[in-house]
Amino acid sequence: MLKFAFTRLLSAIPTLFIVSVAVFGLIRLIPGDPASLMLGDLADADALAAARKAMGLDRPVPVQFAIWLGDVVQGDLGRSVLNGQPVLDLVLHRFATSAQMVLIAVGLSVLVAVPLGMAAAWRQNGGLDLAIVSMSTLLLSVPTFWLGLMILLVFGLKLGWLPVLGYVSIADNPVAGLIYLVMPVLTLVLHEVGIIVRMARASTLDVLRLDYITHARAKGMSESAVLLHHAARNAFGPTWTLIGLILGNLLGGVAVVETVFTIPGLGRLIVDSIYARDYVVVQGCLLFVALTYLLVNLVVDLLYPLFDPRVTAE
Amino acid sequence: MSLPRSILRAFLSSAALALPGMAAANTLTVQITADIRSSQPGINRDAGTDSVVLNVVEGLVAAGDKGEIRPMLAKSWTVSADGKTYTFALREGVKFHNGATMTAADVQWSLEKLIRDPEFSCKTFFDGSRDAKVESIKAAGDHTVVVTLDRPDAMFLNYMAQAQCGSTGIVHRSSFNEDGSWKAPVATGPFVFGEWKRGEGLTLKKFADYSITGDKPDGYGGRKEVLLDEVKYVVVPDTATAVAGLRSGALDVLPYLPPGEAAKLKDEKGFTIVAAPHGGLVTMLFQTTDPLMSNVAMRHAVIAALDTPQIVDSVTYGLGIPNNSLVASGSLYHTAAHDKGYVYDPSAVPGLLQKAGYKGEKITILTNRRSAINYDTAIIAQAMLQSVGINAEIEVLEWASQLDRFNSGKYQIMAFNYSNRTDPGLAYQTVVGSKAKKANTVWDDTEASALVNKSLQEADPAKRQAIFDDLHARFLDQAPLVMLANGLDVGVAGPKVKGYRTWQGFARFWGVERRK
Repeated sequence: MLKFAFTRLLSAIPTLFIVSVAVFGLIRLIPGDPASLMLGDLADADALAAARKAMGLDRPVPVQFAIWLGDVVQGDLGRSVLNGQPVLDLVLHRFATSAQMVLIAVGLSVLVAVPLGMAAAWRQNGGLDLAIVSMSTLLLSVPTFWLGLMILLVFGLKLGWLPVLGYVSIADNPVAGLIYLVMPVLTLVLHEVGIIVRMARASTLDVLRLDYITHARAKGMSESAVLLHHAARNAFGPTWTLIGLILGNLLGGVAVVETVFTIPGLGRLIVDSIYARDYVVVQGCLLFVALTYLLVNLVVDLLYPLFDPRVTAE
Repeated sequence: MSLPRSILRAFLSSAALALPGMAAANTLTVQITADIRSSQPGINRDAGTDSVVLNVVEGLVAAGDKGEIRPMLAKSWTVSADGKTYTFALREGVKFHNGATMTAADVQWSLEKLIRDPEFSCKTFFDGSRDAKVESIKAAGDHTVVVTLDRPDAMFLNYMAQAQCGSTGIVHRSSFNEDGSWKAPVATGPFVFGEWKRGEGLTLKKFADYSITGDKPDGYGGRKEVLLDEVKYVVVPDTATAVAGLRSGALDVLPYLPPGEAAKLKDEKGFTIVAAPHGGLVTMLFQTTDPLMSNVAMRHAVIAALDTPQIVDSVTYGLGIPNNSLVASGSLYHTAAHDKGYVYDPSAVPGLLQKAGYKGEKITILTNRRSAINYDTAIIAQAMLQSVGINAEIEVLEWASQLDRFNSGKYQIMAFNYSNRTDPGLAYQTVVGSKAKKANTVWDDTEASALVNKSLQEADPAKRQAIFDDLHARFLDQAPLVMLANGLDVGVAGPKVKGYRTWQGFARFWGVERRK
């Protein structure tokens, strides 16, 4: 297993290099100059040139890339051109904010969606199946910004149960921190439940059609025993892979939810930095997101044998 | 649903101080759409940053309601006969936020440090590269500071008072770390800079030992009486969330709302809409080197096709004031001569188009969605131009891309807002110049350029008035751009707020109350 993990980590290096080249190149292809955005319409040519020089933008792009990559290899992601903060500190702080929301949301989504998906498969084509599939399709179809706003208007504004804006870290104040997370987590859960239910249902249906399930039923086992002891574990494998992809995707930032609920997370940082053409922060964020995605999927692959012993991490 | 609200409220009480709208009684909670860039006046700033920081710092002089220069930390000043030496008499007994009493040595040190800082936004105003150079700043005793310039500069005090220069705010040495890096402002303003959580917001606290002067508020000068314990700024980038926050009571003031959003709240009980023009310019720029738009008859045809008061009324939902002069409508130099504007005359357009030799070529109007005013202006102008046979199209760009096109001069017509210019001379200086030297210049005319420079060197108000009147007549004649109105800031205050007003695009919190 260790050899597998090591090989996977080594294979991540070229991936991360390609990501860094792509990110570095693409952000510079977008029209817009960070120096003129910073100085606005007050800038004269000399001030613009001085600002560009201070940001290192007066050098050829390959030189800029080489300098940046050299720093990254040494663990220095640079400093924000907007506020001078070290990018690594900024990314880690914002990531922690996003992660606490995303991990809770994905955990709850799995707890709700997997049993629902299995129940729908168990009662395939029945009323329960129709209800669950219809609901999951509806949740999948609703844009998260709209869902978030509706939740905010109902629970924040109409009922007055929850604060409509602001953010407190769980580390600073656990009670307030959790209260602030209720609505964004609910929004994410409702959206992700729609996706996971469908996968859980499909993989359970596949397993329920296999011969060993028919054999178990023929032995006279109860339906609940068949489902829980024989079908559930094998059906969870594909869902587990999907959960890994969802987790990797969400940990890279949920900008829409973070914007609606004023959560200062990684997604909002990326969006704000793109608008401000804060190249260094965008590069640092996206490299970090790529690394997170690779690590999450590595962990998922390493844990897969727990659900399906036929698969080994070799 | 069965959980009663009162029980939930009790549960929330353990976290009450952390919740907006449930904080200490006399806290005013204010939206900011983006975090401030830094807390250092005049360095790494934008308009939103200035608006926050200028509640904390003060300079020797300040801009008054109509752009006049008012005393602030200086109680008076004199200018030498050659116009090169300014002697400021400081107010006595003014305290810094750390309790230290301000002296001339502090002022000298603070001004030196700011003006010589290579990252100072207004460096070119003071280093001789475009205006006079500050040769020396000297303390003469405890309460007098003498500033010497290398040549006379009628705009010197105006530059010192500019918001983008951080009002050349005076800060105490303890604002810096021992290694010389910036820590936080320890200044003399009515609010003390409190806790700043990047990306989330910050708090300003009332300065109990603030030295009040003047008998009424006057721009950034005058009386600054604080009636709150603290102001809490919360970063809320989304307008819909901010409006929900205002309705729920979590926010008290939304200082910068798109006019359309503010108009929706106009009829709701308890909300106060505050709208005031500032010295910014809401324009449609012509690229006068473009083959088509270089023809003055073509530019006059476009202007004759535009009902500018109607455009302003529509895009500002009745909150804006049309102004076809680069002299701001609130300026003391905006006399009757500057009320003369464009004439909406669609019947004159065919003749002007014929004179320009227009044959139905496509004209592209660049705009963006960041400013609702820019976007709506482009939409309405396109319809008005098309109705008289001008083949106008719209290209919508992301803001950074549009700014790039503005700076490179690559456009035909562009809906564009200039930021606040407190003096008419600065407003003209913004658009007038040489396109060969600066690609984003709009009005390239040698005589106009000479007049603008003269206005910036002339201290006599009557003579300056004559220059601005002359420039306005030339502006209407040459039509290098369409001036629609001055920038407009629209804010909304919740039912518990009393005394909130907006001025020159800034949210000032002295004189503002929050009722229990």
